[in-house]
Amino acid sequence: MNKTVNINLAGIFFHIDEDAYIKLQRYLEAIKRSFTDTQGRAEIIADIEARIAELFNERVLLERQVIGIKEVDEVISIMGQPEDYLVDDEIFEDEPQSKNTKKTTTSKKLFRDTDHSYIGGVSAGLSHYLGIDTIWIRLAWILLIFGLGTGVLLYILLWILVPEAKTTAEKIMMTGEPVNISNIEKKIKDGFDTVTETVSDVAKNVSDSVSGAAKNVQEATKKADFQKQGQRIKSSSQTFFDAIGDIIMFFFKVIAKFVGILLIVISSAALIALIIGLFSVGVANFIHIPGLDLVDIVNAGETPIWFVSLLALFALGIPLFFLFYLGLKILITNLKSIGNFAKFTLLGLWFIAVIGLVIIGIRQASEHAFDETYIEKTQLSAPKKETLSIKMVGHDNFGSSIYRHSNFKLAHDDEGHKMIYSSDIDLRVKSTTDSVITVVLEKSAAGRDYQKARARAKNIDYHFELQNNVLLLDSYFTTDPKNKFNDQKLDVVLYIPENTIVNFKKNTASYIYYRNYDGNIVKKGEVNYDLKIIENDVECLNCPVDKKEADDDSENKKNTKSETHKKVSLKINNIGISIEESTDGKTKKEQQTEVSVKRDANIEERKREVNKTTFQPDLAKIAKTDKNPEIRKLALSKMTFQPAIAEIAEHDKDPEIRKLAVKKMTFQPALADIAEKDNDPEVRILALNKMTFQPAIAEIAKHDKNPEVRKTAVKKMTFQPDLAEVAKKDSDPEVRQLAAEKLD
Amino acid sequence: MKIENTKAQMRKGVLEFCILSVLKDEDAYVAEILSTLKDAKLLVVEGTIYPLLTRLKNAGLLNYRWEESTSGPPRKYYGLTDTGKLFLKELNNTWSELHHAVTLVTSQKSTKNE
Repeated sequence: MNKTVNINLAGIFFHIDEDAYIKLQRYLEAIKRSFTDTQGRAEIIADIEARIAELFNERVLLERQVIGIKEVDEVISIMGQPEDYLVDDEIFEDEPQSKNTKKTTTSKKLFRDTDHSYIGGVSAGLSHYLGIDTIWIRLAWILLIFGLGTGVLLYILLWILVPEAKTTAEKIMMTGEPVNISNIEKKIKDGFDTVTETVSDVAKNVSDSVSGAAKNVQEATKKADFQKQGQRIKSSSQTFFDAIGDIIMFFFKVIAKFVGILLIVISSAALIALIIGLFSVGVANFIHIPGLDLVDIVNAGETPIWFVSLLALFALGIPLFFLFYLGLKILITNLKSIGNFAKFTLLGLWFIAVIGLVIIGIRQASEHAFDETYIEKTQLSAPKKETLSIKMVGHDNFGSSIYRHSNFKLAHDDEGHKMIYSSDIDLRVKSTTDSVITVVLEKSAAGRDYQKARARAKNIDYHFELQNNVLLLDSYFTTDPKNKFNDQKLDVVLYIPENTIVNFKKNTASYIYYRNYDGNIVKKGEVNYDLKIIENDVECLNCPVDKKEADDDSENKKNTKSETHKKVSLKINNIGISIEESTDGKTKKEQQTEVSVKRDANIEERKREVNKTTFQPDLAKIAKTDKNPEIRKLALSKMTFQPAIAEIAEHDKDPEIRKLAVKKMTFQPALADIAEKDNDPEVRILALNKMTFQPAIAEIAKHDKNPEVRKTAVKKMTFQPDLAEVAKKDSDPEVRQLAAEKLD
Repeated sequence: MKIENTKAQMRKGVLEFCILSVLKDEDAYVAEILSTLKDAKLLVVEGTIYPLLTRLKNAGLLNYRWEESTSGPPRKYYGLTDTGKLFLKELNNTWSELHHAVTLVTSQKSTKNE
């Protein structure tokens, strides 16, 4: 059984089988393609149709008879294949008109060769197009398939976009002459030959016609001859220049094709990477692969990740697809259009995706719009007489190190619940006149609005407790993952009654906030020393250096004293008792001199020892404890460990040694500390010169007692409001002037 | 160089001349011209003739008129124009010259070979 179609061929009505109809249609299409409009295509086709109608009419004996494939085949064999319609122009044409026809018939086009196909005929088509054996192209596909599946995508795209060679003419075009160098060469040769031939022809013809004239040949024919020859010369030189034009075009084409290849390679690689990347993120998120929880936690906007991935895929992938398509279009001239519908759908999708991403972006950003702090106060009573120790306590589940980090991590608590934990904790100490210790927890977080931020801040879990005069502070805080991570931060402020003696254990060092910022009275360097809380300050009871005393003493005395102090404090540290008795100096001083005499005796020996030592802690110990400035200097010059250098810069009695230490320092907060507190203006200036943190520099410019130091600070300042303040308020006219000069 | 191509070229070269000759005495429609040419084995397939006819018509050598047919679509009857007649006369001369020349050349060769 066969479906039939009714057709009107040159005004005659025919029943025709569907398959026969398709065949006939293709045949006519192919013929149509072998003519150009200038040749009178419409008319020729009409004539041919009329003839076919006539031939069918001869074959239809009964009125109701249907034309089948057999009749169509017969007619085609009578009429001839499309290539039989092609007229050899060089024979028939006087005027060179059919350049176009020639091009379309000789230049190759990419079609899918379904006659020799395994899948879609892409490889066979490419092999015709490129003039390479099919097997190599298939091998290349297989290689590409292993290369991240690029081949699959490319194959499918080519399958969709490259038309199938259905008609004979298309099949001819598919296998036509390849565009390559040897063809070009041929073209040039042809062009050349024609020119030389014509030139010699003309020469011959001229002599012919001259002799012809002698033989009384008619003038008119001669003239016509000349005209014809002129025309021929013209046309052949035209072919020559056409050949040159073809060469130039060829190189343009080569460049264009290269660009096309580049576009295809880049865009397809990017596209595949994008698809694989986003697909895996999206899918992994959907089926909950553990590592991706982190992404989910930062995602405070609560937009599903797969959705964002999809939008990103559209927003980036669609332009890439168009680039890819453009590349293909450059490379393959007869590419099927993807159709306006598809184009506009993709464009629309792209717009929607971009808008969607922008909205999500704004939402995500607005999640950080409000920064809120939730404050919790707890009062703890502690016996005043004993030393209060303050210690950070870690948790096994959250890593062993007790050190401040500003990032967050995921971990499980004891019950196996998932928790976000962070050690972004700042510890500040303030003095209070109350009799109890007050612990204030300033929990802060960001959120889309005030309530959200506040709720998030409130949900920060943090614990501390006072046990036998030891204040145990957690080194981390936690929060439920459903709260998401959104700039959660914790400030622990300890209000400690005045006259309490506290000892911050070493592991608190990284948590202690910069001194004098936000009213903090303890500095990082003062851990492990007993500190007496006084009004808005602390008094170090067993720190190695006592600067105030050092101010008035002579160099030698200073050395001796600092030496002994260090010695004493070291001992005390080892024993671990507080030293309130350090105020009565006399007995000590004597002791010290004894020691120093002993030590002076073997200065040379100690120097040699220092020279030999390379072990940093030993060097640090000597630089800190030796009473001879030269030896300390020597040891210091060999030191590299920054915290120890900072300690010397902070505590050494000898300004020269402090200067040397400052020169070796790099850690900004410590430099700021020295620039702020050293009692030697020169040391302060030296430290100041190495500083970069503007607010700290401004602080010094505002508060330093020494005008020279303030001048140096002003020179380094850039922040206008601070400069204005100095220019207005400084007590020294020179400083004010300097600051004023720097104002814009 | 393929023998088929050369043959086709030779045949095609005289095709226009032949078409004009067929129409010398009386008008004819395509099927008639075709049958004459096919009988003479000048044409193998019919397709070739259509572009030629159109070109000759466009060059002003041929004209045509429509005639109704009892068994099929209306037919195009082609005839020579005055220019066509002159053109044919010219071609006739050329052909006889050519024929003479070719016979002369080919027979000369054959006598030499003998």
